[in-house]
Order: sequence, then C-alpha cells, then structure tokens
Amino acid sequence: MALGTIVAIVVLAAIALFALYVISARNRIIRFDNSIDNAWAQIDVQLKRRADLIPNLVETVKGYAAHEKGVLEGVTAARAGLVNAKSPEEANAANNVLTQALGRLFAVAEAYPQLKANENFLQLQDELTHTENKVSFARQFYNDEVLRYNNAVTTFPGTLFAGSLGKTKRGMLEIPAPDREVPKVKFS
Amino acid sequence: MPDAHEKVSFPEQIARNKRQTVVVEGIMLLILFAVVYLVGAILGTPPVVTGVLAALVSLLYVGFTYANATSTVLLAAEARPANPAVREEKLLQYKVEEMALAAGLPVPQVYVQDSRDINAFATGLAPEKSVICVTRGAIEQLSQEELEGVIGHEMSHVANYDVRLATVTIGVVGAIAMLAEIGLRMLWWRGGGRDRKVNPALLVVALAALILAPLVSRLVYLMLSRRREYLADATGVKLTRNPQGLADALEKIKGDLPDDPKGSRTAAGLYIANPWNHLSVSSVWSTHPPLDERIRRLRAM
Repeated sequence: MALGTIVAIVVLAAIALFALYVISARNRIIRFDNSIDNAWAQIDVQLKRRADLIPNLVETVKGYAAHEKGVLEGVTAARAGLVNAKSPEEANAANNVLTQALGRLFAVAEAYPQLKANENFLQLQDELTHTENKVSFARQFYNDEVLRYNNAVTTFPGTLFAGSLGKTKRGMLEIPAPDREVPKVKFS
Repeated sequence: MPDAHEKVSFPEQIARNKRQTVVVEGIMLLILFAVVYLVGAILGTPPVVTGVLAALVSLLYVGFTYANATSTVLLAAEARPANPAVREEKLLQYKVEEMALAAGLPVPQVYVQDSRDINAFATGLAPEKSVICVTRGAIEQLSQEELEGVIGHEMSHVANYDVRLATVTIGVVGAIAMLAEIGLRMLWWRGGGRDRKVNPALLVVALAALILAPLVSRLVYLMLSRRREYLADATGVKLTRNPQGLADALEKIKGDLPDDPKGSRTAAGLYIANPWNHLSVSSVWSTHPPLDERIRRLRAM
C-alpha cells in the first residue's frame, strides 16, 4: 500500500504542478495584453488633452495672424482627424499629422512678435510641446509593452496557449521619422 | 504593476535593494541597541531595564526615522516644492511627468533646491511616494534636453528602489550620528560627577562604539551608493533614448564649480554628482564615480 500511495501522491503532485505552470503561463499573456491596453490609455489621455488645447490656440493665433488661413485650417483639420480616429493606429497617425500642422503654425508665429509675446500663446505652446513629448514617451512605453507581449505569444511556452486564448501579435505605433526634408534649391 | 518596472530596472535589482534596505535597518537596530545598552551599563542601570529600554529606543528610532525618512532628507537638503507659477519650474514639472510616462511610473513630486550649483537628487520610500529635486542652477543652466537626461537618471534611481535604500540609510545614519553625539555628551557629563565604580574596559568599549558607529554606518553607505551611478546613467538613457543629453549635462556639471552646496553633508551620496566636490579620481571615500568616466561611457553608447 505504501508504494501505491507514494506513486499516487507523486502523480497528483506532478499534475498539480503542471496545472499551476499552465495557469501562470496563460495569465502572463493576459497580463501583458492588459498592460498594453493600459499603456494605450496613457496615450489616449494625452491625445484628448492635445485636442482640447487646439481650439484655444487657433483663437489666440487668429487674434494676431488671421490671414494665415491655410496654416490655421490645416491645424483644425488635423485636430478633427485626431478626434474622429477609431483605433490606436489611426489616432497615432492623426496625431503625427497634427504635430506637423502645429510645427508649421509655430514656424509661422515666428513672424509675429506680438503673438510670440502673448502670455496665453506662450502657455499653450509650452503645454502643446509638453503633451507631444508625453505622447512620444508614452508611445515608446506602449511599443515596449507590445514587444514584450509579442515575444510572449510567439515563443515557447506562450505559443501553446496564445491560440486558445485568442491572443495574436499586436501592432506597434509608428514613430514619425524626424523631419529630414532638405529645402529644395532651384538652379535655372 | 510591478511588470512596468522591467524596462528601467531588473526585478532582481529591486529585490536586492529592498533586501539591503532591511539589512541596513537591521544593522542600525543592532548598533542602536548596543549603544543604548552600553550607555546604560556605564550608568549602572540593571541589565534587564537597559535591555528593555535599548530594544524600545532602537525600535522606536528605526521606526520613526523610516516613516519620516523622506521629509528628513528634504529638510536636510533645504528643498522646497517647485513653483508652477514660474515658467522654468513649470517646464521642470512637465519634464518629470514625461519621464514618469516613459518609465510607466507614477509622477513623483517635484522639489527645487535654491543652489547656484547644477545638481539633482531623488528621494522617497517607493515609486508612488517619490520626490525628484533639482537645483535652481540646473534649471537655469541646463537645456531641456540635458534636464531630460538628468531627470531620466533620477527616475531610474526611483524605479529600481535605489532611492528607498539611500533615503532610509540617510535617515538612519542621521539618527545614529545624533544618538552617538548625545551618548558621548552624557558620558562626559557623568564622568565629571561623583565617582561611581565603572569598569574601565566597558568604558573603552563604549567609547569605541560611540565613535565608530557613525563612521561605520557612513562607510557602509558610501560603498552602497557608488556603483549605482553607472547603472542609473545607463537605465536613464533607456528612458530618454538620448545619451547625448545626459552626457552634456554631466559635462556642464563638471565645468560648474561646486561652490554653493546647500543642506546637510550626510545626503551627499544622494545627488547626481557630489555637491561638495567633483573628484576626478576614485577613492574609497568618494560618493560618486568620476564624472569623466561616466561621460566617456555615455558617449560610447
């Protein structure tokens, strides 16, 4: 009887250990997946804040440089694109467009000393730069989380459970390439 | 979310820092106990009474200093909360928020030290209760990119619990030094009174303990803090993805004469560079690795 009991205990222990291992491996994937969503939430907050700041900025600039219509409309349109974005990828792309539009606006603002001296404008510029930095650092964190998750689901033992959990690789957010456009010089 | 820390630090490193914090507290507990016990023995109180008293005093001291370590450090550094009405300090708060996002950590409180020197430190018992303090000199003389490098460095100290170890050590070192000082004074005062039979050997041991306690605790602290700077430089760069910023900041710190240190010297090991002197040669007594070597390593990244 002693041998039988020992064998039974060993087998049961092995099964219990294996079950624990499976549970922890599955939970790891779920946890990593959730933390990507959490990282996205951090970006989303910043994007909303950015979108909220834009109308105020446009109004302020209009007060000094109303005839810079094209640039102002570009910013407004880019903001609309961001607000209407449906997925993280779309929102990220729309935000990159907005960043470029804002870049043009701030470049134009250089020509208006009174605008540049406006306290409200300065504050908005600081805060918009700040939210843009926050977006890029939060995006960096997001992409790291995606990488960790993707590694987990595509390598052993994650590959065994990813399918049954319905977890597949997730996409990273594109980081805009630094503006390397060389000014065109025409010789004719 | 402990997993979020992985990017800036290794879980083993966090575990080691937490363990070492407990060890430091344990050692301090023992030293305090011994000191109080010895003082009691010299004064001739019964061993049972001194034993209970020593246990009580040491536990109370370590508990109290632990709970108040962060405010002790901020007080010792003469730091004040950043003033968001001042544009540069608002921008500093922005930078700290940005780095916290990059690290996936709660945003630390931002403090400012009114010193002309370029320096910074972080303190706190845990990432969610941490403080990052930057000098006025740093705010005025560093570019946003350099400031970002410095904050990234401090944020990695926060993330891997270096800050807890350092904060607790400073809090308790301060207490020890104070206690030893008080003990010595009592001994002198007692010696001047009516002569009671005191074992001279015990007196020698007591004196040695009183003198050695602060020295030993300080040396332990120095040994702990030195090696961490390279690591914080490297992990800080992982956050900013820009070794240039921190390297340039360290270059400016090197060129800046440390002529306006503020607060207590006990906290020297906490800063990104020693506020009392920027030694270029390493020794057992230096709190930081040489700046040149740190800059060289960053430039090589």
